[in-house]
Amino acid sequence: MHERLAEHDEHHEWETSPWPLVLSVGVLFLGPFSFSLYFVYNKPMLAVLSLGIGVILTVLSIAGWIRETVKHRLEHPHVHLQGETVGLGLDAMQLFIVAEACLFIAFFVAYWVTRLLSPTWPPAGTPHIEMVTPIIMTVILVSSSVTIHLGEERLNHNDRSGFILWLVLTMVLGAVFFGISVNEWTHLMGEGFTFKTNIYSTAFFSITGFHGSHVFVGLGMFLCALIPALFGRVNKTFVKSVSIYWHFVDIVWFFVVSQIYFW
Amino acid sequence: MNASSGLAKTLKEWIFTIDHKRVGILYLVGSLAAFAIAGLMAVLIRIELSTVGPTITNPGTYNVWLYFHGAAMILGFQIPALTGFFANYLIPLQIGAKDVAFPRLNALSLWLFWMGIILALLTFVIPNPPDIMWTGYPPYSIKSPGNTAFYTFTVLIMGFASIAGGVNLITTIVHMRAPGMTWGKLNMFVWATMCAFILQLIFVPILGAAVTMVSLDKYLGTSFFSPANGGDVLLYQNLFWFYSHPAVYVILLPVMGIIFDIVATFARNRIFNYKIAVYGGLIGIVAISGEVWIHHLYASGMPDWIRIGMMISTLLISIPVGLLMISLLMTLYKGAIEYKTPMLYAVGFIFLFLIGGLTGIPNAIPALDLHIQDTHFVVAHFHYVMAVAGTFAIIGGIYYLFPKMFGKMYSETLGKLGFIITFIGVNITFFTMFMVGLNGMPRRYFDYSHMPALEHLHRIITYGAFILGLGVLITFISWIHGLIAGKKAPDNPWGSRSLEWTTSTPPGPGNWPEVPDCREFDPYGYGG
Amino acid sequence: MMRRFYQLVVLLLLVLLPAAALASEGEGAYGVHDPAEGFKHLWREVMIDITVIGIIFALITVYMLFKYRRKHPDQEGKPPKLSPTSVLGWALIPVFVFMADDFFLAAKGWTLWNNYRTVPENHYEVQLESQMWMWNFKYPGGVQTVNELRVPAGKPILVRMTSRDVIHSMYLPDFKVKEDSMPGRITYLWFYPKEPGEHTITCAEYCGILHSGMAGKVIAMPEAEFDAWLGGEIAKKGGAQS
Ligand code: HEA
Ligand code: HEA
Ligand code: CUA
Ligand SMILES: [Cu+2]
Repeated sequence: MHERLAEHDEHHEWETSPWPLVLSVGVLFLGPFSFSLYFVYNKPMLAVLSLGIGVILTVLSIAGWIRETVKHRLEHPHVHLQGETVGLGLDAMQLFIVAEACLFIAFFVAYWVTRLLSPTWPPAGTPHIEMVTPIIMTVILVSSSVTIHLGEERLNHNDRSGFILWLVLTMVLGAVFFGISVNEWTHLMGEGFTFKTNIYSTAFFSITGFHGSHVFVGLGMFLCALIPALFGRVNKTFVKSVSIYWHFVDIVWFFVVSQIYFW
Repeated sequence: MNASSGLAKTLKEWIFTIDHKRVGILYLVGSLAAFAIAGLMAVLIRIELSTVGPTITNPGTYNVWLYFHGAAMILGFQIPALTGFFANYLIPLQIGAKDVAFPRLNALSLWLFWMGIILALLTFVIPNPPDIMWTGYPPYSIKSPGNTAFYTFTVLIMGFASIAGGVNLITTIVHMRAPGMTWGKLNMFVWATMCAFILQLIFVPILGAAVTMVSLDKYLGTSFFSPANGGDVLLYQNLFWFYSHPAVYVILLPVMGIIFDIVATFARNRIFNYKIAVYGGLIGIVAISGEVWIHHLYASGMPDWIRIGMMISTLLISIPVGLLMISLLMTLYKGAIEYKTPMLYAVGFIFLFLIGGLTGIPNAIPALDLHIQDTHFVVAHFHYVMAVAGTFAIIGGIYYLFPKMFGKMYSETLGKLGFIITFIGVNITFFTMFMVGLNGMPRRYFDYSHMPALEHLHRIITYGAFILGLGVLITFISWIHGLIAGKKAPDNPWGSRSLEWTTSTPPGPGNWPEVPDCREFDPYGYGG
Repeated sequence: MMRRFYQLVVLLLLVLLPAAALASEGEGAYGVHDPAEGFKHLWREVMIDITVIGIIFALITVYMLFKYRRKHPDQEGKPPKLSPTSVLGWALIPVFVFMADDFFLAAKGWTLWNNYRTVPENHYEVQLESQMWMWNFKYPGGVQTVNELRVPAGKPILVRMTSRDVIHSMYLPDFKVKEDSMPGRITYLWFYPKEPGEHTITCAEYCGILHSGMAGKVIAMPEAEFDAWLGGEIAKKGGAQS
């Protein structure tokens, strides 16, 4: 079909990868199927089943994806076709963060609109919300931002083990943060402050929840950086991207604390 | 190697492909499927409306059809066809890149889009399917017995796919242009699509948030939109249209880009006043598109001052669009126009878009919109501008790229026949629809027994829809015929100067032996 | 080339100025500005305006499509070279013309809008609570009707509305007006039934299965008759209570 190309082009095969397809099927089970099986058609068993399938497919495909890209970089170190090798990952992540920011903006707008429309604030049914926890959480998250930064520093000095150390520390801090907020949720719900309570609970749970999910995703991405790193394969661009993502999550937290908790 | 394993290999090379051209073509397949099915829904809708009272179905089913028609046509057909197929196929070829920045991510967007299509199609098999229309306004979308979660997730999945696509292609355009391919030289299509992706990047998350809130309210009991508990119903409409108005320009911008490239090629002429078209037209649209959403809420009881304010901003959109129209028309000036099928569609576009765009003006004036809001007048407006002009651009663009994509020529006679019938069909259908709307026929009506006088007009619309459907059918046939029986296409059948035509036909992996040198190059360098 | 463009400008202005001249809202009885009348005027003007614009652009297109057909296969276009000034000219002049038209339309739209939203003093007020899928009207004196809005002819009628469940939209095609009614907010519209007669009320916001069945009637009756009817209804209610 394309002999003229075949002579020069350094890889004249069509590149393929099964993982994007597998991943999106996984997403289909993970999201819509399990959700609507549980909430719409209340079939908990089936919901759990499709959740399981989803998780397996997702994890599998992400792992495969990482292996593939790592391998690819080893095989053609100089191919300026794969964005990862020319370090475009960073720019892409910045664009993605713009989108993420808009997501949070939408939720904060919803929060402020409903709050300003409501006659009394906090609305009836709101229990006293602990003000120490958020401060502790802030400290933890900020320090995790610092640790990952130090990790990058080590990386620039090509000190892999040092980097891994800081990375692990960061992940621990992130996990602790996550744990605390889960704990806080259960506590509040114990006090009868649930999604259903009032407009403040609506905003509180949805916004902290969304932020929490972002922390979770951040941890996942750190894991995707850690595992190859343990095998001596560090993709600097990827690490940089993940860490700015982490800083972003950190900054969002400032808005959450100041506006949801204290303001 | 033997045939079967050869077949397996090609199959693998298509399904697992991460090459931007094949990803693009797979996008095309999916979006055309959505178009065909949603179009058949439209024909059923028309049959239902052709007589007073129930004709072939009951209200419940009608609403599901209409929900699917709207959602699938916008989310499943036009946005993917434009920002998926055309963008993926053309942009790397037009900027001289070997592929997009993140081929795997690209494939992920593709398959997520396909999952969205599947999710949408499940509407027809699941018990109590969504019936909340593509706008999904609460409280109805929360009170509805239908499966609103599917609506939410369709939007979320498609949305994430297009955000990922946007990230991917913007990075590509910014960083992977061939040496010498300066911003001042980019094809109009590249500029236009880049603007569209910027809009997607900023506004899709807003929509994602809005539809998520709906499902949170419905299934987790939060109260964003339930006034009883301190929520506000208009909040949703504002968030939704804050995305969905820019979304219509996400459709319009690439469409304009395609039309500009087709016209430049077949008129063998420069884009007239390129700089103004780009910085005034395209970027002007991007700049204004975020400040006009209230024009969908003129009758929703928003404060009067904001309705007036956004009337003015809405009217001002006619300025950048007008600049684009002038550049488009003047590109014909002293050109050498050849009427191949793609050019016919481009010409059709000009007239249809004029009708559609100009009928946006009465919509834009609240005092007039109070009468026509949510009537078939609006339906006719956006069918002319989006469903018809937009689809004409897409069909024309497919004809335009057909030789490059498949290495075969389509049949001109079939193509032109399809064009003529479709052109007649759309005008019968949607021009009559203006009158129906002006006579007070509201949208989303299964039946109109309390205004029976409108029956004969509705009849005419239905006949028109059949003619139109026939035209589309012929178009499909011409493509299949071209794929099977078309004769071999040369590398550059149109004698275009644009970069995508310098590849072999069809282009192989990596597009060019080496990244082309574009220092001397000019995509519109006609007439010396 | 520039010449044809100036012709375009002149044509536009030639049409828009008279359009501006024939602008005059209908002044009904009681010195009430009837929005429906104003609608008819403004609609005609806007239609003239956009038709002219459309025709100008269409004619130019047709002319060029015909004039610049490709004569022989390898012919190429002769794109005009634009001097920096003409580049700007081709941007600024259209911008100016379009903007002029936009502001012209905006101004007219605004005046009519004020008629739509400012309710005359001598109005008669009715309350509406919409629900799936019917219109519940409430008159002064506690009288209630369903899907039937009886009003005194010759008086501006103000409808204050809210909704019991989902969003509906009270649409009166004959009076060229509609407004959404929704839970948690109170909205209003007013219309001006000059003579006795019947007019359709229909729902213009999707509200589920029977959205298209959610129809009602405005019944405008002579004022005396209306008062009699209302009195009668109140009496009935009284009777019912005692
Ligand atoms: C591709 C899609 C697309 C495009 C490009 C447009 C373009 C425009 N649309 Fe449309 N619109 C839709 C898709 C689109 N629309 C959809 C889908 C809906 C309904 C959604 C729903 O409710 O389901 C809708 C609804 C809609 C409404 C809401 C109606 C209602 O619900 O009551 C309004 C109101 O202002 C509006 C206005 C406009 C305007 C002013 C433009 C302008 O951009 C048009 C600009 C173009 C021109 C004006 C013509 C060319 C310019 C010239 C020739 C220059 C000279 C002209 C002048 C000086 C006037 N549109
Ligand atoms: C890009 C978007 C797009 C496109 C292309 C179309 C295409 C068409 N649309 Fe639609 N439409 C919308 C977007 C679109 N629409 C939206 C957003 C709404 C609002 C929904 C809502 O209210 O929420 C809407 C609503 C809408 C309504 C309003 C219904 C109501 O409010 O009650 C109607 C009614 O006539 C209609 C008709 C049509 C017709 C006849 C076509 C035709 O152009 C279709 C032509 C295509 C085909 C016919 C299919 C392909 C052909 C074949 C497979 C061959 C076989 C078929 C035959 C021989 C008949 N559409
Ligand atoms: Cu009530 Cu539609
Ligand atoms: Cu709009």
